[in-house]
Amino acid sequence: MHKKPSLLSILDILSILLFTAVLILILFFTPTELTMGPVQKVFYFHVASAWGGMLSFILAAAAGIGYLVTRKVRWDWLSLSSVEVGLVFGLIAILSGMIWAQPIWNTWWVWDPRLTTTAIMEIIYLAYFILRSGLDTPETRARLGAVYVIVSVITVPLTFFSIRLFRTIHPVVIATGGDGGSAFNMTPRMLLAFIASLVVFTLILADLVWHRYRLAQLQNTIEEEVN
Amino acid sequence: MKPMLHYLRVTWQIFRKDIRVEWRGRQGVPVMLVFALLVVFLFNFALQLSPNLQAGLAAGLLWVALAFASTLGLNRSISLERESSALDGLLLVPVDRSAIYFGKALSNFTFTTLVALVLLPILSLFYQQNMFHLPLVLVILLGVGAYTGLGTLLAALSIQSRTRDVLLPILLYPLALPILIASVEASRGILAGQPLGELQSWIYLLLAADILFSAAGLMFFETILEE
Repeated sequence: MHKKPSLLSILDILSILLFTAVLILILFFTPTELTMGPVQKVFYFHVASAWGGMLSFILAAAAGIGYLVTRKVRWDWLSLSSVEVGLVFGLIAILSGMIWAQPIWNTWWVWDPRLTTTAIMEIIYLAYFILRSGLDTPETRARLGAVYVIVSVITVPLTFFSIRLFRTIHPVVIATGGDGGSAFNMTPRMLLAFIASLVVFTLILADLVWHRYRLAQLQNTIEEEVN
Repeated sequence: MKPMLHYLRVTWQIFRKDIRVEWRGRQGVPVMLVFALLVVFLFNFALQLSPNLQAGLAAGLLWVALAFASTLGLNRSISLERESSALDGLLLVPVDRSAIYFGKALSNFTFTTLVALVLLPILSLFYQQNMFHLPLVLVILLGVGAYTGLGTLLAALSIQSRTRDVLLPILLYPLALPILIASVEASRGILAGQPLGELQSWIYLLLAADILFSAAGLMFFETILEE
């Protein structure tokens, strides 16, 4: 009925291969950081999954706008899929961050802007599912879901900014302006592995969202057959 | 100019109707007030607060009580319309539905501000410090405005779900976090005697939230109530 697109199959294989490659790159190719030791290697996947989470929530909001403009249910599938995958990426970012923070900050958790914002972001998008589960028709689910993801994407940077006005201890990877002191400098090899993980995680994200989207599509087809 | 005038008149009439219903029934603001006081009592014993409270704690207490109490009013303001299908009548008014939003948001804002104005002298009495500062009242107006602006939008959203009233806090609290942070920080600074200039960024953040959430109401309320 809906055959798996061959491009998706290619993306599957590509994701697996590149993920393995980047894993090897991180484990054997990058140097061990001087002060932090091997635990610093968490950083590559940590930042990449945080980036993936952020990206998918923006994608969800864009799909929300797409739905409100066109009223095609496809956009809602995309929105739902992005949120679901984004939640997993966000969770990975938080957990991997904790693994790094325990030896480096000597604590699993601090109420730093990035940590707090990520945690709140997870709660906001968990609430998205609670909202959807209480709505009966697919049309209301899509319509109200779209409004919710758009409003959410506005408040997340606001939350980040408001906590940022307190002091932060989170390392700044890409230094902006004068606060280069807290940024740590990457060697060319580190930078290469870092950019590679960003690219690979983006690919994996696209792959997973696509799969989830297809699931929603199939679900819809079955529901239509039953009714 | 004519349609604009009509729009404003509808907004004003809805606001007036809400005030009148409240004045005759007196079932909203008193309940919110008692609830706010209970929150203060609970926190007092749960956190073992001393009568000579630090500025930060007093500001936090004020805003937590307001945030919780406000939820009651927000839920009520929309469910009241739902009860006797009054909402259908409102939706028949030949005007952009955001006029309903602004009327409702305005009455919610008024009710929560009233609660705040009663709460201030009581807190001053309990914790032996004068909390009546003009700048603090200004911060309350800005903070409550943003909070009820967002809350009215989300109340209209959550009322359509099967979980109804339970859903609103889950949607509202995480999204309202930047408003609460900015309000608490600005209030804390004022109570600690900091000059207003140092608190500028918090006040601007609140102003931005006010504008942002009014705009969200203007854009999305029609979509939320569509049917």
